[in-house]
Amino acid sequence: MEKSVNAIMPGLCARVVVNQGDKVSAGQEVAVINCMKTEISVKSEFDGTVSKVISKEWDEMQVGDPMVMLEVEE
Amino acid sequence: MINKLLIANRGEIVPRIIRTCREMGIATVAVHSEADKDAPFLSQADQTVNIGPANPAQSYLSMEAIIDAARQTGADAVHPGYGFLSERGAFAQAVTDAGLTWVGPPPSVLKAISSKVYARKLAVEVGAEVTPGTLDPVSGPEEVVAFGSEHGYPLFLKLDKGGGGKGIERVSEPGQAAEVFKRACSIGEMAFGSPACYIETEVVRPRHIEVQFIADAAGHVVCLGERECSIQRRHQKIIEEALSPVVDEATRAKLYADTAAIVKKMGYVGAGTLEGLRTKNGDHYFMEVNARLQVEHPVSEFLTGVDIVRSQLEVAMGGELPWSQSEIKTQGHAIEARVYAEDPDTFYPSPGVITKVVFPEIGDNLRVDHALADGCTVPPYYDPMLAKVIAYDQTRAKAIARLVEALRAFQVVGVKTTIPVNLRILEHPQFQAGDMDTSFIAKQLGLV
Repeated sequence: MEKSVNAIMPGLCARVVVNQGDKVSAGQEVAVINCMKTEISVKSEFDGTVSKVISKEWDEMQVGDPMVMLEVEE
Repeated sequence: MINKLLIANRGEIVPRIIRTCREMGIATVAVHSEADKDAPFLSQADQTVNIGPANPAQSYLSMEAIIDAARQTGADAVHPGYGFLSERGAFAQAVTDAGLTWVGPPPSVLKAISSKVYARKLAVEVGAEVTPGTLDPVSGPEEVVAFGSEHGYPLFLKLDKGGGGKGIERVSEPGQAAEVFKRACSIGEMAFGSPACYIETEVVRPRHIEVQFIADAAGHVVCLGERECSIQRRHQKIIEEALSPVVDEATRAKLYADTAAIVKKMGYVGAGTLEGLRTKNGDHYFMEVNARLQVEHPVSEFLTGVDIVRSQLEVAMGGELPWSQSEIKTQGHAIEARVYAEDPDTFYPSPGVITKVVFPEIGDNLRVDHALADGCTVPPYYDPMLAKVIAYDQTRAKAIARLVEALRAFQVVGVKTTIPVNLRILEHPQFQAGDMDTSFIAKQLGLV
């Protein structure tokens, strides 16, 4: 099933560090948010495969906005 | 003449600049992003212009949007404040090319001093000391190893175009030279557009001391005292004061002479700051020029009675400085605390809505520079600084006590602030004794 990795702080997307097709494990950093000039690491809660990268550099992020979609095995 | 000034910035510096403009009869234009459309910093401007989305790359950093806003409103001058485009030579050039007055040093000077190698060489040529290291860009890892065997480790590779604490790479032993050199060059190429880097030796636990100056087009340079800004966290200043508790008259005279010589040789016109380090032995090393109005300028204003923004505007209009160095009196002691919207224990950012704000009592000896109001939003897209509280008194101890009292009375409800950190610093016996260096926050408070 598909799960999203969401923004944990508001701010600007600094970068997404994974690509479509990458395998990620729970706890791994997938993106970085720049909140008031501080870089905040956004980590995956799940093991899975990146099915879609949604955010890109400079996107405005609110808490809960999906940044990366993962295909997660049940 | 300047009739209408556009302020290309956001936050507390906007009302600060407007205050002086009002005294001088200059109309003002404030620009803002979509995220700042209801921000309190706009309330005192004569006109406001929405220049783009929250993303600063498309608003506060967009030269085109800002120059368009100046055209739209008929502004005839641009004040860049600090940060954003303030030290960007290309922006100063674009403003000038648009037929507007640029309130800052000439574009050619900004372009030249964006090279640290240029600034270091120039400082040495006029007889100032710089942090020991190379004066020319490093040719390759062999040169790094050769330097290390002569001067020891660690040493630092610093990017010629780096700044703000970025672009500094540590080499701890000869085996790392090749790898670190390659990394520095690649970061320089990607982040700053130039791979050039030079070597500096380590200065252990220095104090940060800087000289505020203002220069006019006729070649007069006046220094407005030094400021001590050793209380920092990750190259971010937290407490600034003037004068420094450790700089004596003879040292000050040398710092002033070096500053005047460097500034003249650069052809610098306008207000600026020479940043430097003071070693444990009391040597002063020139670091770099901050070619703008600085966040901590109110400290020097209290100390000297000079309105630095007014001087900037007068010099930008071609005026000469109204005083000579001997007419500048530095009396008493001024100290500033920066209040950030951050968790006081972790320094984690704390954006949100300020539901209520209660200010300390403002007076002749207490100033709060801010752009806050009940119900205002602290957006997550920009710098976390909320306000600056600045106290003045006859002695350092009294000025500290006045600042402590003000910070205790200052209430910001709705977001976390660093006021508790400010108080811990100001009440620390070692700080009160004037015994500090740039490692104070980490070593004495255990915060990183």
